[in-house]
Parts: sequence; structure tokens; C-alpha cells
Amino acid sequence: MYALIVLIIPLILAGLTQIIKKPKTIGTVNCLGYSFILAVSLKLLIDVGLHKAPISLFNFFYLDALSVFFIFTISVVDLAAALYSISYIEKDLESGNITERKARVYYLLFNLFSCSMFFVPVVNNLGMLWVAIEITTLVSTFLVGFYNTKQSVEAAWKYIIICSVGIILALFGTILFSYAFSLNGGGKSLNWTDMMMAAGTFDQNVLKIAFIFILVGYGTKAGLAPMHTWLPDAHSQAIAPVSAMLSGVLLKTALYAILRFGVIVTKALGAQYFSNLMILLGVISLLVSAVFVIVQKDIKRLLAYSSIEHLGIIAIGFGLGGTLGFFGALMHIFNHAVTKSLMFFSAGNIVETYKSHNLNKIRGVFTSMPFTGLMLLVGVFALTGFPPFSIFVSEIVIIAAAFLNHNYLVGAIMLLAIVIIFSALIYHFGKVLFGNPPKGMIVKPEPLSGKLAFIMLLVFVSTGGLLIPWLFKGVIFSVIDVLRGI
Amino acid sequence: MQALFLIGILAFSYAMVISKRMPALVRSFRYQSFFLFLLALSAAIKEGNPQVYIVAGLLFLLKVIAIPILLLRIVKKIKTGDNLGLFINSQLSLIIALVFTYFAWIFATVLAPQGVPAQHIILMVAFTVAFSGLLLMMFRMKALAQIIGLLVMENGIFLFALSVSGGMPFFVEIAVFFDVFVSVIILGVFVYRINKLFTHIDVNKLSRLKG
Repeated sequence: MYALIVLIIPLILAGLTQIIKKPKTIGTVNCLGYSFILAVSLKLLIDVGLHKAPISLFNFFYLDALSVFFIFTISVVDLAAALYSISYIEKDLESGNITERKARVYYLLFNLFSCSMFFVPVVNNLGMLWVAIEITTLVSTFLVGFYNTKQSVEAAWKYIIICSVGIILALFGTILFSYAFSLNGGGKSLNWTDMMMAAGTFDQNVLKIAFIFILVGYGTKAGLAPMHTWLPDAHSQAIAPVSAMLSGVLLKTALYAILRFGVIVTKALGAQYFSNLMILLGVISLLVSAVFVIVQKDIKRLLAYSSIEHLGIIAIGFGLGGTLGFFGALMHIFNHAVTKSLMFFSAGNIVETYKSHNLNKIRGVFTSMPFTGLMLLVGVFALTGFPPFSIFVSEIVIIAAAFLNHNYLVGAIMLLAIVIIFSALIYHFGKVLFGNPPKGMIVKPEPLSGKLAFIMLLVFVSTGGLLIPWLFKGVIFSVIDVLRGI
Repeated sequence: MQALFLIGILAFSYAMVISKRMPALVRSFRYQSFFLFLLALSAAIKEGNPQVYIVAGLLFLLKVIAIPILLLRIVKKIKTGDNLGLFINSQLSLIIALVFTYFAWIFATVLAPQGVPAQHIILMVAFTVAFSGLLLMMFRMKALAQIIGLLVMENGIFLFALSVSGGMPFFVEIAVFFDVFVSVIILGVFVYRINKLFTHIDVNKLSRLKG
């Protein structure tokens, strides 16, 4: 039962935002709430993940190792975003960008958004999974259009329209799944557990078509190219803590949906079909992002394209499969979530101080904001896969999986794209970090609560490579068992 | 009787494809939803299942009454003229819709079990409706047309779900309806915001964010 705490606390916190008046107090209460959720998710990780004891409640909720892995990732990023929000909202209030009432609305939406994301990995019914993902879109649209400027409203519109079309295709795919299930007398249930048990009876042709719709539909939400067009707009216009949540975990919840269906498909059709499609989309995403990263002029769009790259790498990892591929992809999900959050928080601080998104106008961050500058520097190296940071390890594992599977072409494309993106990011951020800041710029000292978020993420970024996989080895192997349909 | 309802659904998707003005589009959508409601009702009577009655009732309340009223109110309030702004003219749109219908037929023959012609026709109509929704979203300039396009796609998928498995599980169906309704409200809010900030709702002119 205690598993449902992760759903209830965000709802309580959402209610509190309407009672507590001061934004700063709300922010602090928020952090306490999310620390508690993180603790619960750790307990879940051990109870469900390590001991391989799935929880099933009311025939509605179902948590196995895969679910708790995603819950843990979401709660880490949420806590970091909650910590960062305090100082960010405070600064926005001081500069008069938002009113106190709007700050309360922000915290309300923040909590509803988290709640909807936690809802995704805990439901058993694939129809409810669809509903949960649709709710994440609906709530986060307001967070993308939060500042109500021309750009942000445009981004929000594109976001909701493109994702809605995607999600409708996913609904179609879900119904096709249940159709493929019912054709040979499998029954009417949409429960994942029921479908898994009867995976052998699915009508294979219909299942193939169904999975393509699922992949295109949820792939839109996961930001896989060529359905990624909403992503750079939404990520660049959203309020900074939310950009981190969008990129760090929202994309992954859609990926989670793809995986749930993928497990059934793998069990019914063998690994080849799922694998080929995932690798195809992954490679396209890598190539598209490699091209667009080079020509970016906007700091947050640059990071958004880098998210497409990493989602591509994750998709390739799951596509390659095997212990190595799954291991790398799972670790990459977590590593990318924490590293990208670190980057978006730094970018948020920079944009707030320089009042510009333009990479050509931002210079000398190291001189003007030493702490943020240092974090950005570490973040850039971590993000581009530099040793000893966590992303290096997961990328190497996935590339190794490619070569060991004799997928030389895929491995080569990955290496090429990673090198291109590495040089492009170092080039762009090198200009941002060094040089002289523009004259007459007012720089305020950075408050402690803001720094806490960075330090927390930094711990994960630097230990995520070796220490965390070692500590949570048992959990990750149980997740891999779930993915293999055992 | 069922055939008549299906023809009604199909005819009104063509009517939507050729409409040039917003109120006509909303009215056609209302009629299409009404025929869909009749079809769901007949399924409910045939099965005698109270849950299907509730689903049909919700369909009537939301898609025949609430959503069209909401959309017509938005059209009245934003005062930007009710022209839809066609990228391709009505006749060409109709021809594209017909080509889509042909593809829908082929797709239906792939999916449906052999030897059940009624099932083929229902699937064809469902896919044609979904395709024409997509067509509305892609080839009309106004933001409101995109909302209707989305709803039309959803109509097609509802029809598909109704025909292949007697609908989704009950609570999922309810949740989906609720979701659709909330998303229409949210889309409506954003249409207001776009209208206020840009003084138009032409989606093709929303091009500040590039690259």
C-alpha cells in the first residue's frame, strides 16, 4: 500500500499551495515532500526491485522492477527541481516577472505534473497508461506557456497539438493491441499482466501494425526523430526547473510506455522486430540531433537537441538488447536525467542573469557566475560522455553492445554522432564560459538552496558511472529480467 | 439501420473536409458525433450492457452538446472572422479524402478477419474518419480547425474501438472521454491566449521558433 504514497504526496502538496501564502514556504514544504518521496522510492527499489516482488493493488496498480526504476529516476529529478525552484521563483518574483499568485500557480502545476508522471509507471492497464501520459501533456502545457509571451504560447500550442496527434495514434495502437489480443479468443482485458501471460496467442500481423502505431505515437512524446519537432520549442520556452523535468523524466515516461508494449511484442514475436524498429528510430534521432546541434544559436534549444541525441542512444541500447544493451540503456536513462537537469539548471541561471537565450550574446559565465560556471563546465564534460562521469560509462556499454552484436554500422554511426556532438557542445559552451562578460551587467550572489540542487545532482553525475551501478546491480538485473519477459 | 448510421458518419467527414467556414465545420462535427452516438446506442441495445449505454450517453453529452457549444462560443468571442483559411481548396481536399478512403479500404482488408464484410466496412469508415481529421489538422490555417481535426480523429478511433472489441474496458472509456474534454478546454484556453497575443489564430503564422 505504501507504494501509493508517491501519488498521494504530490496531490497533498498541490492542495497546500492553495493554503500557504508565501511562495518561499511552499517551496520549502515542497522540498520536504519530495525528499520523503525519494526515500519511499528507495524503499520500493529495494522491496520490489531487489527482492523481485511485484506489487499488485486492486487489479489496477502494478509495480515491478521496471516501474520502481522509473519512479526512482523521477523522484530524483523532481527533488532537484523542487530545490532549484525555490531560488528560481524567488529571483523571478524579485525581478517582477511573475506575481505571488502566479508563483502559487506554478507550484500547483509543478505538483500536478509530478503526480501525473508518477502515475505512468504504476498503472497496470494499458488504457490507463495512455490516459496518464495524456495528462502529463495537458498539465505541462501550462508550464511550457507559463510566461505567456508570444514565444512561449507558440511553443505550448505546438507542444499540445503535436503531442495530441501522437497520443491519438498511440490510442489507436493500444486498441489494435487489444484487438490482436482478442482475435484468438484472448479476452477483453487491457491489463499488462494479463497480456503478458497470453503473449503467445496474439495475432502476429495485427500486433506488428499495432506496435508501429505505439512507437510513432509514444515516440512523438519521447522526442524520437523524426517526430521530435515540438521538443526544442517546448524545452526552450518552459520555465527552467520544468525544462529539466521535461527533458530529464517526461521523455522517459513515454519511453516507459514503449517498453511496456515492447516487452509484450518481444515475447510474442521474438526480439528481432522490436529491436530493428528501436535501432532505426535511435539512429535517425542521433543523426538529426548531430546536424541541429552544430547550428544552434539558443542555449536551451542546444540542450533540447542534445536530449534528442541521448534519447536516440537509449533507444539504440534497448534495441540492441541483451544484458549489455539493456544495462547500458537503463543506466543511460538515469545518467541522462541527472546530467541534463544539471545543465538546464545552469542554463536557467545564465538566462536569468544575462536576460538572453542567444549563444552569441552570453560570454564569460565563469567570471560573472563562478559557481554556475563550474557546474556548467562539469555538466558539459559529463553530457558529452567524458570519463570519469556517468554518461561515459553507459555510452561505452551501449557502443560495446553494438560491436559485440556485430552491428558495426550502428556502432560506427553512434561513435561518429557522439564525436560531432561532443565538438559542437564544447565549441558552443566554451564560448559561453570564457571571455569577458558584457559591461554593466548586474550579478547577484547565488543563494544556498539553488546550490543544493546542483550539488545533489553533481553527486549523482560523478558517482553514477561506477558506484551506483555497483550498488544497484541487483535492481538493474531484475529490471532486465522484466524487459526480457521473464 | 447500422449501415445508415455508418453512411451518416462517412458523409459528414466529407462535409467537414469541404467546409470553408468555422460554424459549418462545428455543425458537421456535431452531426457526425450524433450518428456515432446512434451507432453506440444501437450497439448498447444489441448487447444489453448498461456500461455501453453510459458510454453512449457520455458521447452524446460531450461531443454532441458540450464541445460544439464551447467551440461555437470561442468562434463568436475571438472575432477574427470565421474563415478556415484553406491551404488547398475544397475540391482538392475532397479528392485527397477519397484517396484516403481507398487506402482505408486496403488497410481494413489487411486488419479485418476474412469473410466478414460488415467488419470491413466499419473499419474503412473508421480509418477514413481518422484520416480526414488528420487532413483538417494539416491543411487548415486556423487553430480552431486543428482542435476539430483532433476530435474527428478521436471519433474515428472511437468507432474503431466500438467495432473491434465492443469498446475498451469501461473505466478506460470514461477516462478517455474525460481526457478529451479537458484537452478541448485547454486547447480553447490557448486559442484565446494566441488570439490575445497575436491578434489572429492563423497557425501558419506562428513561426517565431525555428531550427
